[in-house]
Amino acid sequence: MRLIFKNLNVLRSTINAISTSIEIKEIVESAGNNLPNLFDFSSFGVFWKEDLLLFLYQEESCPPSFTQEVVNNMVKVFSILGEESVDADRIVLHTEKRKLRPKQMIMDPKAALKSYLTLPLAVEGEILGCISLNSDQSNAFDAQDLQFFSVIGYQMAATLRHFQRFSSVKNMAIYDTLTGLHNRRYFEEKLEVEAQKCFCSNTPLSLVMVDIDFFKKVNDTFGHTEGDQVLCKVSSLLKTSVRKKDIVARYGGEEFILILPEARLEESFVIAERIRRLVENTLFEVGKAQVNLTLSMGISNFPSHRAKSKEELTEMADQALYDAKRGGRNRVCIFTGKFAREAVPT
Amino acid sequence: MARVVKEDKRGKWSSDLVLDLYSNLLQEIWELVSALIGEAILAFLVTLAVRKLGEKYPFLNSIAVSEDGISLDEMKEDCRTVAPVEIHRGFQSLINHLSHLFSVLAEGVINKELFPKVFPKVKEAERIISPK
Repeated sequence: MRLIFKNLNVLRSTINAISTSIEIKEIVESAGNNLPNLFDFSSFGVFWKEDLLLFLYQEESCPPSFTQEVVNNMVKVFSILGEESVDADRIVLHTEKRKLRPKQMIMDPKAALKSYLTLPLAVEGEILGCISLNSDQSNAFDAQDLQFFSVIGYQMAATLRHFQRFSSVKNMAIYDTLTGLHNRRYFEEKLEVEAQKCFCSNTPLSLVMVDIDFFKKVNDTFGHTEGDQVLCKVSSLLKTSVRKKDIVARYGGEEFILILPEARLEESFVIAERIRRLVENTLFEVGKAQVNLTLSMGISNFPSHRAKSKEELTEMADQALYDAKRGGRNRVCIFTGKFAREAVPT
Repeated sequence: MARVVKEDKRGKWSSDLVLDLYSNLLQEIWELVSALIGEAILAFLVTLAVRKLGEKYPFLNSIAVSEDGISLDEMKEDCRTVAPVEIHRGFQSLINHLSHLFSVLAEGVINKELFPKVFPKVKEAERIISPK
């Protein structure tokens, strides 16, 4: 009886730790840290369908072959429960090894998976993933283990569902729904952070304002649905043309903005020119037609343009874009104060 | 309280009686397994099993499954034209498939609890209802 009370207390604190976690990794760690007090196991796994993530929390001496067996088994069980095949090669595996057993009980290098409990993380009839307790011992788990594990699974599923909803709200708040790029709100927040950083450390920061030339014509000729497709295609080209640390956002309509942290004026010009040329040389499928499009771009830079605030830096990029438009479009202009200096496209 | 299943005057099993029999069995399975793995997971598994077999035995699609349990009330109307033997086969497949899912999840842990209490009744139902 005393053992049951002890286990219930451990279970309670496990559930509490899971429910107060706010990230998937934290949820898995909270469970992993508490489970050794409830079960004797070699490996504890959490598979999260949405991102194809598989977290394994396992005994330090777990051989790779055992890990692979656990992965294969979880994938197999999930495929049966989820009625969809999962490509094991696409799974991103995170393994954390901990000392779960005393020294004299370390696992055999040829240890095989002998018993397991796998439960779906199911909420409101939807399967989010699965959790699994695994052992190299035969008949390692009994009905009481299953009861406790299912309570943990239930709490994990509920917490992961909250996490999923929170992520989706967060995504809605920072991403543009049409193009999948960051939205203007995120741009403003990120620029605030980046500007603060570079103003304090005097490191360079560039902004590139981008506008699709004569985009209204595309909408008027082919309709808004086709226009939206063009916006998506341009967004994709922008995204793949910048560095990993750069931020691409939809500024509004057919306008985009790039934050290029630590990019000097010359570097940002090279990036902008590369994008301009790429778009100029791309044939866009619009309905049944193929059309050429061009971009106009304006660049501002800190410290070159001596902007004193993020607003000023944005205005400078906007001014340079205006000059690119006025100069005949399909070009990159760098802010030069009152009169923007036009850079002749190559 | 389980209703006693009786043969009607013509010596045949009526659909209602077969449904009552399996309704009681599913109720027992629900009580036992939900105590082990929780109502949410069990509801998910029963729904999965029904979906799997619903094409072959369409009457199974009117089983109502929720975290509160399984109900066959809606099914009675739909089953009026279905032969009792066919109903029996459908439920037999459902229980077999559930048993398969339980072993996929927890190897023998669930079935070890389930077999001694519920499966003798499944066998008994099979013996009574199966055509000789």
